[in-house]
Amino acid sequence: MMSNIEKYNLQIIAVKQECPDSDENEVAEEFRRYEEEFLIPPEDALRSVIRKFLLATGKEESNFSMPQKVEKKVNRFSELGSEDKNITIEVFVASYTPRIQMIRGEEKQIAYGWIEDNPWEEVSNRERWDFKDWGQHSSQLAPNSIVRLEGVSVNEWNGKKSININRSTRVTTLREGESTSVQISNEPSTIAKISENEGFGSTIGRIISVKADVIVKKDGSGTLDIFRGKIADSSGSIGFLSWVPFDFKQGELIKLNNISVRKFRDTPEINISNDAKIELYRDNNFSSLEDLSQITKSNISDLRNGMRDISITLQIITWEQRTFTSEDGVERIVRSGDVIDPTGMCRLTAWCDFNPKGGDYIHLTGTRAQFWQGSPDLVVDDIDQIEQVTNAPWEDIDPSNHWVEVDFDELSNGGSRRGIRTSALIVSVRKDSGIIHRCSNCRRVLRDDACAEHGIVDGVEDLRLRFVLDSGVSNASLLLSKGPSEVFLKNTFEEIKAQISTSGSDGFIASLRNSLLSRKVEVEGRALIDDQGTMILAERMEINQSPISDSANNVMEKWGLEI
Amino acid sequence: MGVGDMIGSSTPRIKRQSAIRLFAQEFSEANLTEQGVGEYDPSFVITKLGIKVNRALVSGVIERLERREGDNGPSFSGVLRDPTGNHRFNIAPFQTELQLDIEELHARFESGDRFLMALVGKSRWFEGDDGGIFTSFRAEEFSVIDQETYMHWLIDTSDATMRRLKSHENSLGVELTQDSLKSSNVPSDLIDGTIMSRQHYPDFDSETYRLGVLKALSSALGRNNVTEIEDDKVIEPSSSQEETVSSLTSSNAPGVIMDTIRRLDSGVGVEYDALVEACTLAGISRESAEDSIEDLRDTRGDIVEPRFGFFRLLSK
Repeated sequence: MMSNIEKYNLQIIAVKQECPDSDENEVAEEFRRYEEEFLIPPEDALRSVIRKFLLATGKEESNFSMPQKVEKKVNRFSELGSEDKNITIEVFVASYTPRIQMIRGEEKQIAYGWIEDNPWEEVSNRERWDFKDWGQHSSQLAPNSIVRLEGVSVNEWNGKKSININRSTRVTTLREGESTSVQISNEPSTIAKISENEGFGSTIGRIISVKADVIVKKDGSGTLDIFRGKIADSSGSIGFLSWVPFDFKQGELIKLNNISVRKFRDTPEINISNDAKIELYRDNNFSSLEDLSQITKSNISDLRNGMRDISITLQIITWEQRTFTSEDGVERIVRSGDVIDPTGMCRLTAWCDFNPKGGDYIHLTGTRAQFWQGSPDLVVDDIDQIEQVTNAPWEDIDPSNHWVEVDFDELSNGGSRRGIRTSALIVSVRKDSGIIHRCSNCRRVLRDDACAEHGIVDGVEDLRLRFVLDSGVSNASLLLSKGPSEVFLKNTFEEIKAQISTSGSDGFIASLRNSLLSRKVEVEGRALIDDQGTMILAERMEINQSPISDSANNVMEKWGLEI
Repeated sequence: MGVGDMIGSSTPRIKRQSAIRLFAQEFSEANLTEQGVGEYDPSFVITKLGIKVNRALVSGVIERLERREGDNGPSFSGVLRDPTGNHRFNIAPFQTELQLDIEELHARFESGDRFLMALVGKSRWFEGDDGGIFTSFRAEEFSVIDQETYMHWLIDTSDATMRRLKSHENSLGVELTQDSLKSSNVPSDLIDGTIMSRQHYPDFDSETYRLGVLKALSSALGRNNVTEIEDDKVIEPSSSQEETVSSLTSSNAPGVIMDTIRRLDSGVGVEYDALVEACTLAGISRESAEDSIEDLRDTRGDIVEPRFGFFRLLSK
């Protein structure tokens, strides 16, 4: 078998030319490490190995950093010289004129205009200079705005100084300038499209449901008659709320112009006011009410906070009732339990005399969703909204192990869900992982031995692990409470505590980071999702152990690559 | 109660930016940047393949690690090498929470040890006097990793790069609007970056990124024919590029090298790897590139190597 010295003979000769005193065996071992451990073939590793041996002999300076830039902060243009660079200054933008210019054979958009120093003072106390924007900062340099420029330079031409705003310049808006007007299109959009953002628009849809309702004014001054309902097309459905009389019936096809879409909690909803124009619409090819009824059926993974008029089929897992005294002194009964469908699990609350058994199938219509502690909770107000289903709509689901596999990006872009299983890479181990102290009254985490609510208290020890999961497209905070942490670390609370007292909190975090950073993990639990991001409360976490060859082959197959 | 309430946030938070998986070549070739408008808005480096990089997860073997004393404490600069090139990173004096770990790694490096690392960092850039953009990362978290974790990173990053390549291909010939790109199957997270990159970068040969992916996957699978694959692919031009590539023979290597030094030298010289990379991107084999560097330095005397591995034009 060929020795390493023979195998890397050519490369060793090259290294010896630069580092004559280097040991052949050590050089050969280094090439072996690069090839076998760092996956870099010897011809590519040559310069790295030479550099390593030069460094070892002190011949190579390792100073390769980029030159440091010296920042100059000024308030007035008069403080600037023609050679000054990397300047920070606050200015008023008097004008901004973009134009296309050929630079080194390429069409580039640049802009020029006037800026004034001393922007917070009267115009008479300001000096005005020309500027050129090489960095396409048009959105930040709106006329009449005040901005802070960091990293600009002075240009002098024929004795006249001006400012160059470079691509690397940081522009911070300190006072907004002229805003651009928003164009509103009256071309009807699909329901899926108008549901994407809040704003104004037009759409066409068939009325799935409509009913008169009453809103009690918050100030107690009376009531308002309104209409609620739902319209749909083949792209989806959306609820509506009309503040004006609504003279259309279920099944009719209508065109809605000049409506606004607003979000009620997490759910988009059409608002119909006096400015809106609604008319019957004729289109024989438009989906029928029957077809759309199927589309408008929801499942648990679709539920969003604030959804109304939900049609959904469920299986009861647990059911219980409790009695409480309401604020007005009346004794009331609330019934609730866990329900599942093939897409997940949630709570169901009934404010009516409904007493199902575990395993029953039910179909709900006209129900609503509200979130409790970040998870979806379906609410039934009237027994007429519930229908027993005799034929099982799906094969038996084992509720004790009902984890629905959800793609990480899909999860992050959807609504809060319970009973999910997903996977992604750990890209951060949070420093507050480990032993924490909670308030004995409210279980809040103590900061400096104090509870935000109850002040200085005796803390109760607890354990938690916090990470950031990331797929490269989406990310989520990940929290493991004491039980799941113990299982994952394969140690009891006391053992972990002993480990932390020996190695220190930083040592514990470092050991977690060394074993988990950039590792793919699979988690099961529930996801809480709102405008600020995703948080996963995991009941189980496991390191993904899929073989390298399987992962590589999957990627090659996915993209049609051959090696 | 929202997630924000649960974690005790009292002011609106900007959503965390995801850690982009990308190879060194794609990041180092990027020269389009975007500054956030508000004080806390994220800034981005936008690559030719249309990804906006604020944060990234990169990996590779430690190639350099330098410690520098400053008035505010020590700072560190380093280079991680992956199959396509070098990732530069740094740790500032104010990042005290990272100092202990990086000091430890620095000691290992100085003792001659080399190891694989994963690093999560925020993108940053520096603009040279001639407008050249130099990209790097400010480290947020890092760790020494084992070979298996590195192989998984190579595979994940290959997957992410192929996704961007596919998206880039889909965007060609399409009107640069949100709706048009969406209907051409450009993923929503790549639409903004694609519009900006297509408006900024001239046409380029995306095949070089595909080669980087093949190289990475070969490494992950432990196959040794990486260089052969690279060379085979480089000299096989697609029909549309035949004319361009046919003119790029090894005789162009000196010109490419001289041009690259002229373009990138900001006073400290241009690295050997950058010159070889520029040549391979131009369709010139590594062997020819290396020969030409030596010829220019030793025979023609057009370039000098004032420090090992750094080249400058010789003023005449």
